[in-house]
Amino acid sequence: MRITLASALAAVSAAAPASAFAVDYLSAEQAAKLMFPDADAFEARDVTLDAATLQQLDAQGIKARSAHWSARVAKHAGATLGFVVTDAVIGKVELIDYAVGIALDGSVKQIEILSYRESHGFEVRLPAWRKQFVGKGAASAIKVGEDIANISGATLSCTHVTDGVRRIVAVVAAARRSGALA
Amino acid sequence: MTAAAMVRRARPLLGTLVEVGLCEMPEPCAHSQAIAAAFAEIARLQALMSRFDAGSDIARFNALPRGGSIVIDAATHEVLTFAQALSDASGGAFDISVGSAPQGWRLDAGRRLHKLADRARLDLGGIAKGYIVDRAVRTLRGHGCTAGWVNAGGDLRAFGAIEVPIVLRDEPHGGTRPFAQLADGAFATSHFGAETRSRCSPSGSAHVSVAAPLCVQADALTKVVALSGDTSHPLLARYGAQAWLH
Repeated sequence: MRITLASALAAVSAAAPASAFAVDYLSAEQAAKLMFPDADAFEARDVTLDAATLQQLDAQGIKARSAHWSARVAKHAGATLGFVVTDAVIGKVELIDYAVGIALDGSVKQIEILSYRESHGFEVRLPAWRKQFVGKGAASAIKVGEDIANISGATLSCTHVTDGVRRIVAVVAAARRSGALA
Repeated sequence: MTAAAMVRRARPLLGTLVEVGLCEMPEPCAHSQAIAAAFAEIARLQALMSRFDAGSDIARFNALPRGGSIVIDAATHEVLTFAQALSDASGGAFDISVGSAPQGWRLDAGRRLHKLADRARLDLGGIAKGYIVDRAVRTLRGHGCTAGWVNAGGDLRAFGAIEVPIVLRDEPHGGTRPFAQLADGAFATSHFGAETRSRCSPSGSAHVSVAAPLCVQADALTKVVALSGDTSHPLLARYGAQAWLH
């Protein structure tokens, strides 16, 4: 074990950004390919849930948040292999983009974090702060630049992500039942 | 090792965000397979040790009546053995029964876990995450990875020829700041405040960080330091560890 404290690393401390922290892991496309390596095509679908479907979800205790969802349908030789839905959740100080792969039987096949943004604190709720990341990280997400810092702190809770996954599973199931996502 | 040649992936596991970082491997697909295997191992061990999973060794023990016993997985046995050693060496301060019944469980020479008190409930929240990080590193190495890291929401282990910068997250206020560079070892931070299950001896909110060769040691020793308030606790030296309160 070898540990060098930052106080002995004047250059690192001086160059360090005030406190923002961001990592791009995968683009949505890369995640979809990782989840369905056999797919030869991904069809983009916009799904609009009708009022009755939203009510059904509500009865299951699922807040769909929006009637409009986008999904990628993984295809192989014209046959559907499954679905990929991406979403973003806001925690106390973090913004997490993630993708959920759903198999044909409706079960979760894989979850991948696409990006992680840690704010100084309150800014995470400001649209302007979140907007600076829109469209970032799609092309070069698989290779990370010089910033390979690891966060250590109290354990980051992933409750928001797990709630989000549950919501996506329910939305995809409802959309398939209603014929909005075949 | 240049950082530009790193591959990083993260998944929600262990109730947090688990990140795997690897130096790129010669064969293009090798790192994907290694990362998938590491995440699969983490999920398998979580299913054995989470008290929230009804089928886990821990949940099955918690559901036992006094006098009952179960056979547990070799991995759970390894964690409990280390927990027992830490409990003995810390005068009972390290307690995976979280006060319910410190003497209420016993391992025998086989892999059998006995329940000695009805009220005994085990919770590996203070030690299993570090152990699982170590096992994930073992899996990565088994797949030919020579350098990288696994970070389970602040329980971190780096291996091979890489120096990993660590930034600390300020839990009550948000924000991060640079703390250290770590190579070939582990680092864990715990936050103790009014809302956390374990309390830090000096009252109020505090972060405790420990660096140690293995992540299971770093993870568990943060609790020993927090409970004793002693960053020179004798157990640290025994495991070649260092601690900070901040």
